[in-house]
Amino acid sequence: MLIFKVGAVAKHLGVHRNTVTNWINTGKLQASLTSAKRYTISKKKFIRFCEEKHISKTARELVILETETQTQNDIKIIEKGIKGNIQKDINLKKTSRLDDEELTQIPGTDKLMGSVMVVGGGIAGIQAALELADSGFYVYIVEKTAGLGGVMSQLDKTFPTNDCASCIILPKLVECDRHLNIELLTLSQVVKVQGSVGHFSIQVKKKPRYVDIDKCIACGICAQKCPINVKDEFNFGINKKKAVYIKYDQSVPLKYAIDPSACIYFTLGKCRACEKFCPTGAINFTQVEEMVTITVGAVILAPGFKPFDPSGYDFFGYRIKDVVTSLELERLLSISGPNKGKLLRPSDNTEPRKIAWLQCVGSRNQNNCGNSYCSNICCMSAVKQSMASLNHVTGQALDRTIFFTDLRSQGKESDKYFERAKQEKIRFVRAIPHTMEPGKDGTGARMRYMTEQGEVIVESFEMVVLSIGFEAPEDVLTLAGLFDIELDQHNFASTSCFEPITSSRKGVYVIGAFQSPKPISRSVIQAASAAASVATLLADQRGSLIKIKTYPDERDILEEKPSVGVFVCSCGVNIAGIVDVDQVVAYAAKLPYVTYVENNLFSCAVDAQESIIERIQEFGLNRIVIAACTPRTHEHMFQETLKSARLNGFMLEMANIRNQNSWVHQQDAKSATNKAKDQVRMAIAKVIYNYPLKQDRINVVKKALVVGGGVVGIDSALTLASLGIETILIERSNTLGGNALNLETSFKGENVRSMLEDLINKVSLNKKITVYRKTTLESVSGSVGNFKGFLNIAGEIEHIDFGAAIMATGGKEAVPEEYLYGQEPRVVTQLEFDKKVLFHPDEVNKVQCIVFIQCVGSREPQRPYCSRICCIHSVKAAIKLKHINPDIKVYILYREIRTYGEWEEHYSEARNLGVIFIRYETIRKPKVRKEDGFLRIEVFDPIARRPVRITADYLALATGVIARDNQHIAEFFKFNVSSDGFFNGAHPKLKPVDLSVAGLFLAGICNYPKPLDESIEEARAAAFRVSALLLRKEIKSEAIKCFVTDNCDGCALCVDVCPFNALSIIKTDGQKGLYNVKVVADPALCQGCGLCAATCPNDGIMVHGFTLKQLMAQVCAAVNTGQI
Amino acid sequence: MTEIDINNSSVEENVIRVAPVELGIGSKNKLKDFARFMLPKEGNLNFCFNCGACSSGCPASGLAGMDPRKFVRMVCLGMDEEIMANDWVWMCTTCNRCVHVCPMKVDIPQLVSIIRGQWPKEKKPKSIVEACERSLKTDTCSTSGISVEDWKFIVEDVVDDVRQTQPGFEKLNVPMDEKFARLFLTQDSTMPLTDPLEMAPLWKILHLADADWTYGSQGWASENFGYFLADDDTWEKIVRKKTDVIEQLGCKVLVNTECGHDFFAAKQGLEKFKISHSFEVKSIIEYYADWIREGRLKVNSDWNLDLKIKFTIQDPCQLVRKSYGDFIAEELRFVVKETVGEENFIDMYPNRSNNYCCGGGGGAILSDFKEERLAYGKIKLAQILETQATYCITPCNNCHSQILDLSHYYNARFKTIHLWTILCLSMGILGENERKYLGDDLAMVGLK
Repeated sequence: MLIFKVGAVAKHLGVHRNTVTNWINTGKLQASLTSAKRYTISKKKFIRFCEEKHISKTARELVILETETQTQNDIKIIEKGIKGNIQKDINLKKTSRLDDEELTQIPGTDKLMGSVMVVGGGIAGIQAALELADSGFYVYIVEKTAGLGGVMSQLDKTFPTNDCASCIILPKLVECDRHLNIELLTLSQVVKVQGSVGHFSIQVKKKPRYVDIDKCIACGICAQKCPINVKDEFNFGINKKKAVYIKYDQSVPLKYAIDPSACIYFTLGKCRACEKFCPTGAINFTQVEEMVTITVGAVILAPGFKPFDPSGYDFFGYRIKDVVTSLELERLLSISGPNKGKLLRPSDNTEPRKIAWLQCVGSRNQNNCGNSYCSNICCMSAVKQSMASLNHVTGQALDRTIFFTDLRSQGKESDKYFERAKQEKIRFVRAIPHTMEPGKDGTGARMRYMTEQGEVIVESFEMVVLSIGFEAPEDVLTLAGLFDIELDQHNFASTSCFEPITSSRKGVYVIGAFQSPKPISRSVIQAASAAASVATLLADQRGSLIKIKTYPDERDILEEKPSVGVFVCSCGVNIAGIVDVDQVVAYAAKLPYVTYVENNLFSCAVDAQESIIERIQEFGLNRIVIAACTPRTHEHMFQETLKSARLNGFMLEMANIRNQNSWVHQQDAKSATNKAKDQVRMAIAKVIYNYPLKQDRINVVKKALVVGGGVVGIDSALTLASLGIETILIERSNTLGGNALNLETSFKGENVRSMLEDLINKVSLNKKITVYRKTTLESVSGSVGNFKGFLNIAGEIEHIDFGAAIMATGGKEAVPEEYLYGQEPRVVTQLEFDKKVLFHPDEVNKVQCIVFIQCVGSREPQRPYCSRICCIHSVKAAIKLKHINPDIKVYILYREIRTYGEWEEHYSEARNLGVIFIRYETIRKPKVRKEDGFLRIEVFDPIARRPVRITADYLALATGVIARDNQHIAEFFKFNVSSDGFFNGAHPKLKPVDLSVAGLFLAGICNYPKPLDESIEEARAAAFRVSALLLRKEIKSEAIKCFVTDNCDGCALCVDVCPFNALSIIKTDGQKGLYNVKVVADPALCQGCGLCAATCPNDGIMVHGFTLKQLMAQVCAAVNTGQI
Repeated sequence: MTEIDINNSSVEENVIRVAPVELGIGSKNKLKDFARFMLPKEGNLNFCFNCGACSSGCPASGLAGMDPRKFVRMVCLGMDEEIMANDWVWMCTTCNRCVHVCPMKVDIPQLVSIIRGQWPKEKKPKSIVEACERSLKTDTCSTSGISVEDWKFIVEDVVDDVRQTQPGFEKLNVPMDEKFARLFLTQDSTMPLTDPLEMAPLWKILHLADADWTYGSQGWASENFGYFLADDDTWEKIVRKKTDVIEQLGCKVLVNTECGHDFFAAKQGLEKFKISHSFEVKSIIEYYADWIREGRLKVNSDWNLDLKIKFTIQDPCQLVRKSYGDFIAEELRFVVKETVGEENFIDMYPNRSNNYCCGGGGGAILSDFKEERLAYGKIKLAQILETQATYCITPCNNCHSQILDLSHYYNARFKTIHLWTILCLSMGILGENERKYLGDDLAMVGLK
């Protein structure tokens, strides 16, 4: 196999590069394009082609020689399972323009492809891409804009942790960008879909960027020179950008693009300023639209959502300057936004002192916009924004009010968040103002509203935020048409409760807001869940199309004297505009051990990498200092450069003379230059003591344990088995099925019993799954990849080994303590009511009136969380009662109706059927009495402002869900249990199904109460995470880990501070009957945080890469100017 | 609008000790069952989830201790007796501002109408019941009971006066029962009795525009209180009478003069009672705008170049929100801007389809609750005052009467005028005795 670049071949054959491209495009030269923009062809075919073209043997051999060498040094394409005709291997075919012949060509093979297309580069899409690419599948991300990130990249913070959104998503974006097995197609759209599951042939239209991605270094000079200002869509037009732009400062790929509709070269034929000034010649006005055909085994659709546009509605007052949408507010709050994180209202650019949020704008509305669903996240988003906004104004005086109907904080930790907001004096007003009116002098807005108490108030605010809902994006109709998938009435993708991310087309999965409006955490779970489905579908093809990067053997430098190469980056004018780079270079050259110094215009550019490799070889350098920007984004890249030059990647230090210097000292160039010298000196001092590090390999037991035999446990086990992992499923009771045994139908109406029977049947027949009933886990030791456990199987102890485990211990219905429960047989819990009445139409026909009370014992100090499912459960029960007998009177007494997302439709349906909903406050709870053989429930109706007394046959109490006694499991695995008794994931947004201990995962109700569809998503997501871990031959650990030195005296101070339980004490026999105590570190658990090293009084434990010697050298260099 | 101190909320219910409403087994809600049956499937009261947007935007909120949300709620809870004992249904103008914003499209005005219909006749507001009776007694359909003969006489009398006193209108013709005239014009029927000279400006406009129009000697009265009274019988009879007259004359368009409720009653009535007809129903504002565009009405705002007198307009709910939508509001603005100058026009806020009802609409001007009607109008008054305009143009008779009342009652200094008045003024054809509603600043403008 030859791998070549068009230019190289053209040079040797003595033709223009376009000629070679033409040969390829017309099929004369049967080469196929790789994702690295290179072509591959078999040697035989190439020779035959050269003979046909009468190309001289010398030229031919030159090409073969060069391209074969390159093959060795370059990316190695593993071709497992693909044999035979080369033409069939092509999974990415390039044509210059739309070519009908190309379109009709479907690969003539039945073989499944080990590649996946993800449509949409938002959080859901990139998460799915990363999950799959990390576990052996080649992924194409098709994104319609110029950069990845979606709406999440526009957010300031995320709830309920107030984490910075950028800090969460940016590392993922960078990872996508540099992932060898992810290919980004930006400015691209799917235009044609052929084939079927296993081998979809998808045509993608790539709009020209007019900027060569390989050449662009994002220096920004083009935009500086561009004379055209256009609205910055990323900031919702609050500010301007140029016709040549990057989507946002941290955009991935960090490459400029030209907007041809704004660029005056395209509109008027003149200018080309960007081209003239571009230092790397990246501007290319001749780019044309391209059509590429990509063949993949499965597709994940994650096109996200369109924010509701309030501009067409007079009453929302969106024309008023200081009335903004919630997304606009995110940009106003964002540190990377138009005001650099200072909250200024649009009318006069002053800080608002009084802000109102208006909920349900474009949601729960079937009159004005037809969005009869709840958008799920806006309540929490408003709470978040109201809390966060305080940090974006000066001082503490910020009056914040949220106008709402039902505050929906049904997520994990969300009600606490809501309570915290109330404590922060954020005012929650249960009212919806009719119309926003302009405020005085063109600033602020005024509104008139009626409180729940019936009082009409006119109030002015300095700024009003419209909490806008989600809509399906406009282009989903096209997308759905192309992929032939079904949409629901609101154009979200149709799915079932049991297969929540499976579209109506086989091999096409739907995730994120496109499936239904949802928060980030659930999108991330759905991404992993979709990855599970894809990996199951294409299990045989795992690893078939991926690329593995190989490096030449490392040079042994242990005997060498330190020889440092210093590369100082000018970063265009970013650094050189402030810091005198030449001075820094001259200074560095005089420092000890420095063999070579160079000033790069852009150290990160491709040519600079090649130059660094050459210099390392030429001068025999063994340590490298890069004085440029932040290691967070660039260290990995430079490490790879070192590896390509046969150096260990850890022989590198970076001095951040941009972010930490030129950017912050713009007023004082002289001091900045001096500081840069200090930084370079410190880096050199440290790098002298760097030594090669190795990444340990951990062998894993390819067996998983699932704790809990409910739907989640069973589904996890089945998913694991279908992914090829042997699984032990343990259940404490004698029957599988858990809480689902109590359900008749899912919220979407599917039959739960038949689903459950099917699942239980499958799990008992599956040879890869061993089911233990009446079994509990007694104890556990070991760590990721190698856990050992003891099972108690009905009294008998059995030892098991497993590499990873999923906690699926579920939860149970709480037992009420009020409302005559236990005293009166017709006061029952929800599940009891279902069993006693709802499932028996005869009984239903006997009764005349049913009352439900919601939040019984929930959302009160002793149990402060919302159980998420009870509102929908009661509403569904009410609907069923009304369907059986329309004359039955049903009352639901509630505090907030939390029929979030699509479940809102059930709430509407119940009301339409005549179910009466009465809101109560905890200070005035319903009173229940037994009188004349009936139940009498007294409650106050806030709207009629009258007490009401309901005479009823049954009272059903929605008591909520409580966790099982999980403490002991958590204790021997050493992970966290929340104050509510549920397990805590490692991170609510980033790692929702990972536990804080490596190798352990969680799913279903033991994480937090949730309905079936969400539980099943988590079951699959967790199973996938396990498979990604266990299906590797070995787990490579990070190199930056702690290690124990001879100085350790076993004082164990470090053991106490280690947050990852990576340290323990061992005793060994010593002299004279005494024994020695010493700390041992488990590298599998260590995360390299360094707390141990900082705590140790004795230099007894240190962290690789940050040893005392290295740090001391750095500190000494910092204080001793001019010395190392 | 005045700001209300939100901390001053002392509405802790006094009603808490009141006997509870009995629900559940044995309870009845006849009214609700009936209303549900009558209401459209989509905008059903059952859909209400008590968000309160309706009450936030309703000027009648608080009158008679009621507001739209509470009203719907009480019907839902089966509080039939209390609903039937509350006069609020007669204070509501069915202006539809609640439905405009309701997320569930609950048709509260229709519910109000349905419940009005359930009132026994003897308990309904007397003045409206009587007005209805009068209009059924005469072929003119006039609520003031004018006979055909009187009507003909008054018109002839006023025409004569104009011909003799106003130069240029010596040949002014007011067609009566003109067969096959294109436009059949209606006329507020109080005016011929109380204010006959006010009819002349419109005639002059029609004359200058060379309109092909006619009055009828019958069915011309621009009123239909059967609709307000939820007396479908009367409503239907009046619409049928008008239809018969127009069909007999062979007119193509029923042109509603500046009146909202009759426009709505006629248009809605034709549909509701499935009355077959071969004419369209249009507002005269549409014609004003067309005639100005076509150059048939040579309006000019130069008279206001130096005066800079400011005007605002009231968008009649029945005409804008309930019938045409924003289209007619734009036409209205076009006409006004052409006549007073764009820079002298100040819009109220909110406006067009989201405008506040003045409180007189739909026929409420005639109902017996004057005090409540004036309280209702406070928001409108504040809106007008906020524009600081000297004149409020009201292209609807009910709006005109109500806003005039408001300005007098609250001693506001602005003036309230009909659209035709300012049209004539801007064309220099407004007679000396047609300036009743103008202030001193315009008393002499355009007079030779």
